[in-house]
Amino acid sequence: MKIKASQDALLSNYEVYQHIVDQRERNKKRTRRSPKDVFDVTKEVISYLTTKPSPLHNQEETQAYSPNSMMTLMQKLKDAKLSSELTKGEMLTIVNLRPTGEVLLSNIVEDLESRFTEQERATILEIIIEVLGQDEPEEVGEEEEGEEAAEGTN
Amino acid sequence: MFHLVKITDLVQIKPIDFGKPSYDAIEDNIHEKYSNKVQQNIGLYICLWDILFATEGLIGEGDGMANVNVEFRMVVFRPYKDEIIIARIGKQTAQGIQLRTDFFEDIWVPDYELPDGSEFLPNENDGQGLWVWEEDETKLYFDMNEIVRLRVLFEEWNDQAPTKPREESADVVAPTTDVKPPYRIIGSMKEPGLGCFLWWD
Repeated sequence: MKIKASQDALLSNYEVYQHIVDQRERNKKRTRRSPKDVFDVTKEVISYLTTKPSPLHNQEETQAYSPNSMMTLMQKLKDAKLSSELTKGEMLTIVNLRPTGEVLLSNIVEDLESRFTEQERATILEIIIEVLGQDEPEEVGEEEEGEEAAEGTN
Repeated sequence: MFHLVKITDLVQIKPIDFGKPSYDAIEDNIHEKYSNKVQQNIGLYICLWDILFATEGLIGEGDGMANVNVEFRMVVFRPYKDEIIIARIGKQTAQGIQLRTDFFEDIWVPDYELPDGSEFLPNENDGQGLWVWEEDETKLYFDMNEIVRLRVLFEEWNDQAPTKPREESADVVAPTTDVKPPYRIIGSMKEPGLGCFLWWD
């Protein structure tokens, strides 16, 4: 066995999610079973990616993410003519976590406040919400849901 | 968080699997060997992404297995430095908090990487405890199973390869049962915005 490239390409959580969903679908159609290890680990990855606050938690219903999401997001951010460019890693984490508030955005983007003006920060958040969507605000019952999910894994 | 690793390997297909389409036989073989396993300095293998190239199968002498050289790409879990990831609170001790995701359990946040003003409350009843962060007289608890965000600081690799048995001598102490995980992520929840996501959203 030989590693040809230890990091050939970066994947977004959405791409991994879609790849596993497609693979399962193919296996289901042909009633084919995967070996145990891959069955277990892919099941756990899907469960991780579809747990709130992951933006993919209701992907099945909303289809908020599509194969073009990332390109659209990059293009829109480029068109917004921001004073600084977002790095590849920052862009990837934005797609993975879908920040809709400034606190999380400042965790993801280094030196957010010195690189972007207040207006630009608001624009970035607007573009994220426009392209990737956001969770419906649901003040009531959110906490309960979190606890239920937590109990489920015990 | 996830990325692709390109690998070449010799895949040996057993005669019993000759009934499967070649692609399936190769895929199952790779999944059995790699999936859900950690390789040092590579990460945790999840599943096959694609097969780039495969030679004709050559039947080996003696065992009848078809030998195929395959070049393929695997999906690997290995968050990069400074990445923000989501995890769940696992075990808590006075030294820090262990976090896990559904598929990976070895994420560690040491006490000095918790928000300033955090305190560990031991629980005499069950011997476990809880970290509490006190900010402006509000107590925020790191509850069990709560979902948190953390920043990846660095990774720790511990090779699990067996070592040769040591010769017994008089001063041998009892072997430690403390097994180090093959791959551990060390993270921080110190900055604003990190820690339980319900505090911030």
